[in-house]
Amino acid sequence: MLRLKGGRLYDPEHGVDGQVRDLYVENGRIVAAPGPETRIDSEIDLAGRVVMAGAIDLHTHIGGGKLNIARALLPEDHRADTVPAMGDMHAGCGHAAPSTWTTGYRYAEMGYTACFEPAMLPSNARHAHLEMGDIPMVDKGAYAMLGSDDFFLRLLASGSDQRLINDYVGWTLDATQAMAIKVVNPGAISAFKFNARNLDLDEAHPHYGVSPRQVIQALARAVHELGVAHPLHVHASNLGIPGNADSTLATMAAAEGLPIHLTHIQFHSYGTEGERKFSSEAERIADAINRMSNVSADVGQVLFGQTVTASGDNMSQHRNHRHASPDKWVTMDIECDAGCGVVPFKYKDKNFVNALQWAIGLELFLRVSDPWRIFLTTDHPNGAPFTSYPHLIRLLMDRGFRNAKLDEINAEAAAHSQLRSLEREYSLYEIAIMTRAAPARSLGLSDHGHLGVGAAANIVVYHDDANREAMFEKPEYVFKDGQIIVRDGRVVKVVNGAQHAVKPEYDKAIEKPLKEYYDRYMTVKMEHIRVSDDEICACGASKLIPHQCTGRRA
Amino acid sequence: MPDSCCPFCGLVCDDIRVATDATGARAESPACARAVRLFPVPARGTARIAGQAAEPAAAYRAAAALLKRAQRPLIGGLACDVTGHRAALALAERTGGVVDHMNGAAQFRNWLAYQDGGWMTTTLSEVRNRADLIVLAGTDTCRFPRFFERCLAQESQFGELRRRLVVLGSGLSPEAAHSVSPDLAIPLQNARLGELCGALRARLAGRRLAADSVAGVPMDQVDALLEMLRAARYGVLVWNAAELTFPHADLAIQAMVDLVKDLNQTTRWSGLPLGGNDGDTSAAQVCTWQAGYPLRTAFEASGPHYQPLLFDTARLLETREVDALLWIAALDPERVPPAVACPRIVLGRPDMVFADPPDVFIPVAVPGVHHAGFMHRMDGVVALPLQGHTPTELPSVAQALAAIQQEMNHVAT
Repeated sequence: MLRLKGGRLYDPEHGVDGQVRDLYVENGRIVAAPGPETRIDSEIDLAGRVVMAGAIDLHTHIGGGKLNIARALLPEDHRADTVPAMGDMHAGCGHAAPSTWTTGYRYAEMGYTACFEPAMLPSNARHAHLEMGDIPMVDKGAYAMLGSDDFFLRLLASGSDQRLINDYVGWTLDATQAMAIKVVNPGAISAFKFNARNLDLDEAHPHYGVSPRQVIQALARAVHELGVAHPLHVHASNLGIPGNADSTLATMAAAEGLPIHLTHIQFHSYGTEGERKFSSEAERIADAINRMSNVSADVGQVLFGQTVTASGDNMSQHRNHRHASPDKWVTMDIECDAGCGVVPFKYKDKNFVNALQWAIGLELFLRVSDPWRIFLTTDHPNGAPFTSYPHLIRLLMDRGFRNAKLDEINAEAAAHSQLRSLEREYSLYEIAIMTRAAPARSLGLSDHGHLGVGAAANIVVYHDDANREAMFEKPEYVFKDGQIIVRDGRVVKVVNGAQHAVKPEYDKAIEKPLKEYYDRYMTVKMEHIRVSDDEICACGASKLIPHQCTGRRA
Repeated sequence: MPDSCCPFCGLVCDDIRVATDATGARAESPACARAVRLFPVPARGTARIAGQAAEPAAAYRAAAALLKRAQRPLIGGLACDVTGHRAALALAERTGGVVDHMNGAAQFRNWLAYQDGGWMTTTLSEVRNRADLIVLAGTDTCRFPRFFERCLAQESQFGELRRRLVVLGSGLSPEAAHSVSPDLAIPLQNARLGELCGALRARLAGRRLAADSVAGVPMDQVDALLEMLRAARYGVLVWNAAELTFPHADLAIQAMVDLVKDLNQTTRWSGLPLGGNDGDTSAAQVCTWQAGYPLRTAFEASGPHYQPLLFDTARLLETREVDALLWIAALDPERVPPAVACPRIVLGRPDMVFADPPDVFIPVAVPGVHHAGFMHRMDGVVALPLQGHTPTELPSVAQALAAIQQEMNHVAT
């Protein structure tokens, strides 16, 4: 048994806010304080150290076809961050579209122990699991993308019973080994294939006649009724378009009180005020989140520098291709299932729009009052690479630092933003909520994201450095399942992570119409879309962790 | 076994009925001639050192010794499944080797265009359901025997498509390959496809061209073709880089994908790069996610080093920048390694025949026949599960490479 002695614990799931406590670890789990008869095999003195559970990133594009498209597109970006093999660690590359190995090492080195890929196309699921299988160190999971796939749109357009839609959603979660359902620009990826260039929330799809609102409602209900912990994960309509705050608010309302998660909401909080017809609507969006307890969001913070945007939203990515830097970009229509678009991007602090995007993201963080419902993301790599999280944490925790950065950005954008007037500084407790406790709760990971008895011993120990960027960049210790995997910000032991997937109950009779559909129209069999439980380990994960769901049948 | 996946071309058809008996596996209807030829594989094979039969353990030792002596081996061929590719990359990293696929010359015609400007592409089921105009540029798709049957069937979920077919290029015969006749065939040298696409782009942009013809095609025919392209609701431009064998074919491909991009200003168009034979799509995918680059990568002390032009198999061997060749060809026995001056280790199908035996031959199991595995289709999106049909004592590529690595720990240099 291992004793971690005298650290200052931040464990919001149990309301522990900096109290000094001992932790005990045995067989990869946190255990109760033992009696005097139990032998303590080793002890680490953590006096003065900050201790949190392993961090969880619930929205990071770490694996799947579009990431490989981005990697292959950007050899010049890799060259600046070449990673040699070292010990048990594989060679690779870092920065905007890092190799799988490097992704795992660098997440672990920042104290992350679980990462969730938010955009797995069912037709690409086996590939996504193969890629994620080569991401070491962290546990993983993926959200299956629905809402522009023709089978679903046919169900919706033909007025199918919600129960049939639930069965299809359940089948998809099960067959693709997914943890949640994501919808991306609802219906619009399909509409783009019919040459539509925009699709508003209440606009009829050019072929099916159904609206994005109907797509959201059917999927949100399905996810809820299947009992999937994580709400429908929504990349809303009109990404990046000035004035999109209206459709973002309407999307929240479309859920009609059902749980809904709006992702990278920074890209959806834009107004049309001012000379340049581009302004912040962060206040209106944040007020709505504060008011609507069924809504959660992650920010998708923009940070300055070179990155690459990779999204299932080929309609928006095609629209944005003129901003590509360097000037090259890829879009794909995929398997009557979805699509993707990859556009390299360089966010510049002197550029009015980019600077305002930066300020809008920070405003959202600071204006949403409940840290249990707003998550720390850059929508890696779309707003910035995940390696910039420590910098982002400092921006949130240190107003002086934030205002100094505000002085550096495009002056007009700084003048337009109300960021300077926001005095809030995040506390360590709030950071622990938004990066640990809240994502675990949102995903239904009962033994992750906290330091209670029975939790997986994923534990991160930091020096309490006033420079929060330096502190979060380089944990002193990271424990994964009870083993020390990182010392002083460097990997010391390579481990493999598990794959999380939900296993909802659904009527397998859905396979009959689905098989007919695949046999008649697709170039692959339904049976071959399915990724079996056994394949998860063959793909590379250490094990499959199934999560049962308790359905709420209507 | 019904609905098995066929690993022998980039379509990875997943509707094959595979029959097995004491003699091995047999692909039955609806398999193509290529599948029928390649599914039967002997269950046994003989390892050889310098052409002489040897125990597998001795062959692993000999291979390990050769690799250990090499300064920079080329881990080439790479015709296998994802598990084999993972093992090949691990060995390349361990030995400071460089990786390239046997189809690298074709792959990099595409990658050069892709890495310079990107592209807009589509996948097989989209083509099947949406394409109302298919342009075959420099290919009749005969290397993908069931392309028309699988991807251009009459019925689509959006109602019956009146598909039109245009063929651009020389020596092409979709009639012979697939019994279909094109609505329009414009003969021109394949090497001038880029020129034609450039002219189409210029005309699309409203520019006048001071010429009577482009690439031998009269200007009124260029304009008529452009009208067809513009009128398509979902057009698909199909090419096969392996068939574009003229110098700087990457520039012709770039002209094609730029035309596709431009046509998307008003209607929908996509490219469809054919490929994926010999597991080349999987090889590129695995190397990209593990190292960041789509092959032609050396594992150096400072990390992966990418050279899309310099790390070409033929060039590396000719210039002797590599001093050993490990050639993986687990799918097609005809893909024997090139004759070279440096030592050669071959992991090949047991029925591979050599005019010029390599230093070490290790017969390996065939993924999708002898053992299960994963293989990507040409579009890079769909990774299919390969099934094992007949037992064998032969090692998989991954097992053979692991055995060689194991021996490398013991072999003295």
